[in-house]
Amino acid sequence: MTTPNRSVNNGLFSGARLKNLFGISPIVVVLASILLVLIAPAVIFLFQSSLHETQFDGSFGDFTVQYYVDLLTSDQFLTNLINATIYAVGSAAVAISIGVLLAWIVERTNTPGGGWVLIISIISLGIPSVLYTISFLMLLGKVGPANEILMWITGAEDPLLNVYSLWGMIIIEGIEFAPLSYLLLSSVFRSNDASFEEASMMSGAGILQTFRNITLRLAQPAILALLILIFIRAFESFETPALVGLPGNVSVITTDIYESIDEVPANYGQAGAFSVVLLFIVGALLIWYNRLSRNAERFQTITGKGFRPRVMDLGKWRWLTGAILALLFMIIIGFPIGIVLWVSMVPYYDGVSLEALKLFTLDNYRTVFNSRSFHDSIGNTVIMGAAAASVVAPFTALCAWLTVRRYKGAWILDQLATSPLIFPAIVMGVAFLQVFLNLPFGLYGTLLSIILASMVRYLPYGMRYSYAGILQIHTELEEASSMSGARQTTTFLRIVMPLVAPAMVTCWLFVFLVSVKAVSIPILLAGPKSQVVAITLFDMWENGITNELAAMGVTWTGFMTIISLIFYMLAKRYGLSVR
Amino acid sequence: MLKVQDLFKQYTSEDGTPGGGVLGASFDVADGELFTLLGPSGCGKTTTLRSIAGLEQPQGGLISLMDTVLYDAERRVNIPMYERDIGMVFQSYAIWPHMNVYENAAYPLKVAKGKRLSASERREKVRSVLALVGLEDYIERPSTQLSGGQQQRLALARALTREPGLLLLDEPLSNLDAQLREQMRSELKRLQRETGVTAIYVTHDQSEALAISDRIAVMSDGLIMQIGNPKDIYERPTSEFVANFIGTTNLLRGVLNADIKAGNEAPVDTPLGKLLCTFTADVLATPTVGVVIRPENIIIAKIGDDKAAALPDTNRCDGTLLTETYLGEIVEYEVGVSDEIVLIRTKPTESLTPQDAVTLHFPTSQTLALIEKSN
Repeated sequence: MTTPNRSVNNGLFSGARLKNLFGISPIVVVLASILLVLIAPAVIFLFQSSLHETQFDGSFGDFTVQYYVDLLTSDQFLTNLINATIYAVGSAAVAISIGVLLAWIVERTNTPGGGWVLIISIISLGIPSVLYTISFLMLLGKVGPANEILMWITGAEDPLLNVYSLWGMIIIEGIEFAPLSYLLLSSVFRSNDASFEEASMMSGAGILQTFRNITLRLAQPAILALLILIFIRAFESFETPALVGLPGNVSVITTDIYESIDEVPANYGQAGAFSVVLLFIVGALLIWYNRLSRNAERFQTITGKGFRPRVMDLGKWRWLTGAILALLFMIIIGFPIGIVLWVSMVPYYDGVSLEALKLFTLDNYRTVFNSRSFHDSIGNTVIMGAAAASVVAPFTALCAWLTVRRYKGAWILDQLATSPLIFPAIVMGVAFLQVFLNLPFGLYGTLLSIILASMVRYLPYGMRYSYAGILQIHTELEEASSMSGARQTTTFLRIVMPLVAPAMVTCWLFVFLVSVKAVSIPILLAGPKSQVVAITLFDMWENGITNELAAMGVTWTGFMTIISLIFYMLAKRYGLSVR
Repeated sequence: MLKVQDLFKQYTSEDGTPGGGVLGASFDVADGELFTLLGPSGCGKTTTLRSIAGLEQPQGGLISLMDTVLYDAERRVNIPMYERDIGMVFQSYAIWPHMNVYENAAYPLKVAKGKRLSASERREKVRSVLALVGLEDYIERPSTQLSGGQQQRLALARALTREPGLLLLDEPLSNLDAQLREQMRSELKRLQRETGVTAIYVTHDQSEALAISDRIAVMSDGLIMQIGNPKDIYERPTSEFVANFIGTTNLLRGVLNADIKAGNEAPVDTPLGKLLCTFTADVLATPTVGVVIRPENIIIAKIGDDKAAALPDTNRCDGTLLTETYLGEIVEYEVGVSDEIVLIRTKPTESLTPQDAVTLHFPTSQTLALIEKSN
């Protein structure tokens, strides 16, 4: 009966005693100002840097459009743009093929062992992207088991696969995005009414025909939206292009940005121009994505009457799908983790063989545990992740609450807090690099600078969780408190806070996990004293310290997987969608 | 006791057009009365209730409870909801999941200003209220383990612990299944009588309203159509809207070429011929009226029977019996008269079969000529 989300006549933060700005609560004004102070300088400095000559000390010189002219007239840029597009399309295709197969087998059929797939999601949220990419380089590299098996089969003398190529990037990135693709598609497949499929089977169609004509067609809008989402993510990704592409002379825009800053002297202007172009491309794609995903949701709500989530009986074929499931599980998690474990326990990596078993040792772990820089790097990472999460979780909870309860002007908070989404991580890094270089606070190279940038970068993620959490709190729970005679602050402390706490904890864990995983922001901002695990792993790989890298990676991934497991349990318990 | 005058609150849809609300409602509720706001969805009854609670800020009018002005647009008075002496039961019950039964019920005593009790007094008070609603054995139970009916009782207990001057009930039974709903309906009425609390009850269910209320205000499109006790509302509706909304009724379009004051009788031309009708409201300068008669008030007889011969000559018409539907305690007949179909309900004592030629009589006192909407 009651229209949801009526505007509320609440005294809380409406500041009757303070002078209101166009009737907007002071708390909204304060929060919006904080967001503006955090976000606006980065945007301004990014554009400024691309439009002014770079000085030796990093400050701005004369106004120029030369960087854009250079960029748009160079053949290299066009090549890299094409590379990035092929790479992103390929990755999305790989990720979605795996995702559709996994999601269909797990959600729509009676294949045994579907529950194990959850482990894929848990570990993939815990493992640093750098380590994941490296593990595939170990698997598919010259001395890796993949090449050895191929050489044994074909009898060739030389390795057949060259992973340092565009197809190598596509395979690795595609597999890395497979868990996300599976997660989103499984919710689509789960919400499909089984009677659609049963009606098809009763009309005489076989299992494969039904899958093709009904299941896939119903999921088509969602798949299209997902295709674009993964395209965007791959297009703006940095780890795989840097570790796989660069050694094989395949450049994309994100690596161009990195190289402009990595060269001596750093060409900030060029990096800025690249970043601005990337920002606009990603922005346009996101607008398209939003439109498509809205359509997809509309499509999804069409279910037949009498909704029953039933699965298809595959008969003896379910052992085949079970085998496919096991194979995919091994490809996504088993082999990568296995090879890193292997490498961490041998003195030097020269492929997987029985002889190497004799050399098994824990020396790498010993070296890593006794290393001072390892301790520092872990300490820094934990502080960085915890600090970013501790700010983002309560901050977004308050913003989300004000937005959901329709406080006047609160939509601005929502818009501002989700705006960093259009910044690819590497662009966010460049923008904050400019801020810290040009502001007189001496933040450049400090851990605090990484924390600030990560905070802004992961605000949208926090907002998504907080928003979902607050939406679950029925307005009447708060109104009942007011009608009991409680003032608004009492209501907030005694009703809202306890109810939103699980969502906030979940949000905290998620922001922690994603912020410690990433490389793009710290690789541009970290100084000698603010190394974090992801960067340490990256540097170790570049310097060929492979075995200790593996030992460190295994240890760290172990910790993070535990945190990820807690996150999944909480999210499931409190019904928050895991994305 | 409670006085609501010219209450106004209009919502604006997203495209800027006016979108529902309450457009000037006035009524008084007496001490100890159970007053119901009844109407279809979007009629403004919930807005009215929420304005009294203070959960919505009206745009005009006046609300006062006993000697306290809660809201007065002219004098710019708006007492915040937490300072109003009002308890409320929500449609979703709004039982806090992080508190147990006792904590939920005791909350108002802990947070409300002015009514500070000692811990033992508070405990005693909460116990007695929980006993009143029959939850005394569930005091320590987590509120998430309560059934729908128990949550409903707890919500009621919580609204009563503070002994508020006014109790508001927002569709409290709409989330219960049919059987439980009837049980809770009589229980609610009993509790309201026992505690003597003045209550305002919002519902869209007319049978619920008839069963529970002392007085009913029927609302439509933000306006109050009629206020009266259940019997008046059912038997003496003053508009077509009220007659149609409450119960089942036969509606005929009538033509009238005179101004008639309320309380008089006058003939109206209808598709069934000229009918002498009773006017429950003034009909001024309106050439067409709705002629309304309840199915159970029409007298039916087989042509040629003694019963037919005994019927008066006025307000009569002949027709053919089309269908007979046997419903146990009553029988429903559909009779075709010229192009109209008239619905009749009687006790199952008549011996009629379809295709019988029948005659119908419309008693004048129960044949009402009504304008479309009053006010």
